[in-house]
Formats: sequence, C-alpha cells, structure tokens
Amino acid sequence: MRSVKRNLVLLLASAILLIIWQVASLLLDSQILLPSLGPVFTTLLGLVREPVFTSNVLFTVLRALESFLIILVCASILGVLAGRYSLLSTFLRPFVTTLKAVPVMSIILLAFIWFSSGTVPLFSAFLMGFPVMFVQMEMGVKQLDSNLDEMCDLYGFSKQTKLVHFIVPSLVPFFVTGAKTALSMVWKVVIAAEVLTVPQYGVGSRMQLAQMQLETDKVLSWTLIAIFLTAFGDLVFALVVDGVGALKHRLDARRVPCVS
Amino acid sequence: MRFLNISKRYGENQVFDNFSIEVSPSTILSVVGPSGEGKTTLLQMAAGLLSPDEGMIEKEVGEQGSISYLFQEPRLLPASTVYENVELSLRSFCKEKHEREERALHYLDLVGLQDSLSLYPYQLSGGMRQRVAIARAFAHQCDLMLLDEPFQSLDIKLKYALVTSFIKLWEESPKTTLFVTHDPKEAILLGDAVCCLGNPKQPLLYQTIDIPRKARNIGDALLLALEAKLMGTLVQS
Repeated sequence: MRSVKRNLVLLLASAILLIIWQVASLLLDSQILLPSLGPVFTTLLGLVREPVFTSNVLFTVLRALESFLIILVCASILGVLAGRYSLLSTFLRPFVTTLKAVPVMSIILLAFIWFSSGTVPLFSAFLMGFPVMFVQMEMGVKQLDSNLDEMCDLYGFSKQTKLVHFIVPSLVPFFVTGAKTALSMVWKVVIAAEVLTVPQYGVGSRMQLAQMQLETDKVLSWTLIAIFLTAFGDLVFALVVDGVGALKHRLDARRVPCVS
Repeated sequence: MRFLNISKRYGENQVFDNFSIEVSPSTILSVVGPSGEGKTTLLQMAAGLLSPDEGMIEKEVGEQGSISYLFQEPRLLPASTVYENVELSLRSFCKEKHEREERALHYLDLVGLQDSLSLYPYQLSGGMRQRVAIARAFAHQCDLMLLDEPFQSLDIKLKYALVTSFIKLWEESPKTTLFVTHDPKEAILLGDAVCCLGNPKQPLLYQTIDIPRKARNIGDALLLALEAKLMGTLVQS
C-alpha cells in the first residue's frame, strides 16, 4: 500500500514537472528557447530510431561504467589503506582536498590538453568521483566499532573470520553510499566532458552539435536520454545492492541448522 | 586468580596502589564500586588487555586459557544471525563443524532462543540480544569468565530473568568469574564473595556469602543486611 502511494506521488510530481515545461513553452512561444513537449518527444523518437543512436549511448555508458569501476577499485583500496594507516591518510589529504575543490571544467579542460577526446571523459570522471568513494571508505575503516574488534580478539576470531564477519559487513554501508554518489557523479562528468571535447560518439557530443545548430529540441531530447541513463543506472545499482543483500540472507539462513 | 600488590595510575588518578585481592577457583567474585574506581581496569587486567604498572596477576593452571567476556552491551556482529554469533566464537577451539553446531544450539536452547536462530541482532529486543551474548560466553570454552555490568541496561524483570538463566548456565560448569556491577542486589545474588572498591590500597569491604546461590532470595534477612552494608559503604565512599 505504501509503495503504491509513493509511486502515485512520484507520478504526480513528474506530471507537474511536464506541465510546468509545457506551460513555460506556451508562454515563451519560441521553439528555439523552449520547445513544447510534443516536438521534443517526436525528436526523441527520431533520435532513438537513428542507427548511430546505439553507438552514442553505448560509448557514454561504457565510459561511465569504466571510470566507475576504476573508481570503485582504486578508491576502495586506497581508502581502506588510508583508514588503516594514518600516515598514508595525511599524505593523501592534499591530493584529495585539491580534487574535491577543483572545478569540473578545469579538470576537463586540462585533461583535453593532455589526452585524446575519448580519454578525457574517463579521466575527468575518475578524478571527480574518486574523492567521494575514497572519503567514504576511509571513514568506514576509521569508524569500525572498537568494541566489536575487542570482542573478536577476546573470542579468538581468526583473521579470516574477523574480515568476513566483522570488517567487510561494517564497510558495506560506506561502500554503497560512496558508490551510489560516485555513480551519479560519473554520468554528469562524462557527459560534460563529451560536450567540451566532442568525441566521435557520445551523448554529450550529440548535445554539443545540436546546441551549435540551435536545435533546442535535440538538446532537450539528449538531456532526457541522459536523465534516463542516470535513473536507469541508479535503478540497476539499487537492484544489485538488494540482490546481494537478499543472497546474503539466504546463505545465512542456510547456515543455520534445522532444529526439529 | 590473584591480583598481587598491583598499582595502576591514569595521569594524576591513582586507581590501584599496592592492591591485592583473590578470586577463589571456580567461584564468582562480585565487585561493586563507584564509577572511576577501577572496576573495568580490574577486568581489563584480568583479560590481559591492560598491564598493571606494578605488581602481578597470578592465575591458577585452570584459569590461564581462553576467556569469556560478557560486556555491558551485547557486542553482537550486526550482519550475522543469532546462530552465527554464537557459532563463530567456537571456531577457535572447536574444529568440527558438527560439534560447533551442537554446542551453539545447546546454549541457545538454554537461554530460550531456539526459535530465533536465523534472526539478526536488529530484529531482537535488548534482552534477547543480551541472552545471545550470554549463550556465546558460555558456549565459548573458557577457563576464566569476566562480566562487565552485563545486566545494567535492562528493566528489573528482565534483569532477574537473565540473572537466573546466568546462574543456571554457570552452575552447569562453574568457572572462576569476576563480576563487575553497579547494583548491590545483583552482586549479592551472583557472588560467592562481594568486594567493594573505592580505596586504591584495599577493598572497602570484602565478604563471602555462604548461602548456596540457588537458595538465595532477595528478601532474605541476611542478604538484605549485606545489601544495606554494601549500600552504606558505597554511599560513604
């Protein structure tokens, strides 16, 4: 019942957003400033039917996924180590602070001087997403419950048991929060970098080309596609997290002996 | 287990100064005292988590092995089931899975949690969580048991239910036990001897209780007198 209510609210909010768009477009009465819903959706359908559509979306998705995976691996390893060794944490602090403070556009522009257009989105997304994940993992390790740690030692837990049953489960919430934030950031940065560097394929490249020709309906269509990609990414991520959680519960239940 | 002439200081605060006390083998020594007078320090020294600045802790042959510790809070692994929380603590000394299973189930059954095996700590009430911790402490094969105010944060009814199940389990296989508490009643119900801290050099009060544990009643005149004496000492300290 609660989920039905929530879905209804979501639907209502989306409808209001579309109505605002339509009303604003009618008021402005200019297809260049803000085209109305109808033409944008027609353009969107046209774009989807184009043969290069898949390549454009696929390249953006691959760039985002690739940088996301690199962030997950590098930031997790370095974050855990920094949480464990305070000297490393101190050493990395200036790098992380710089990365957190530097504007996205500076990174993209600098990266464009150093790399080819296809690599820039990947590199920029990595640099922007890394600190988020890193900080979460470092915090996770620093916030490990010292009481539980003491309990594990007093009850003679082996290193492996402690890792599997105490450390990893304690880090999971931090990992999930970091990964979720990094993922939504990665989409935005990849598309922004594509807009500036215009690689051959990519949602951002198409957006930039459309903008240059003042095809606002196309810019909006590609924006809708970008929104859809981000939402779809979030959904898949949530499904994976839920799936892993359910699998763990099932495995845990299997380990409990049957009492007859 | 004997604490022999131990001294311990935290900055300006001298908690123990040439202090000695003994816990007879396979008995429970209840330790009461105001906060900051070294109750937890005594436990941590017994567990080997802390060393005295001076003096030594002598353990009998049967007390030198592993330790079961019952903490103020249950300290359960949040991502592990009730069953796993107990079973994991057995792995260090029990290599046979089947044996571990039997042992964990036995103790969980004794604390009345046989129907909650696959639940997680967040699904349990405070009392149930502490019962898992008690089952874990007893299932873990130990030579020495250390209790750090384990019944502190529970309501009276639950507290006495847990004290009763603790006594039942302890009597099954008595172990040298150091029991730290704020509550004189608990101290008297569980201890073979009661000691009150408050003076770094010696206990303010030390008294053995000869009434068998199972026959003790909170309303008993002798125990009430001892409780009043303990209260008096605590208030004065």
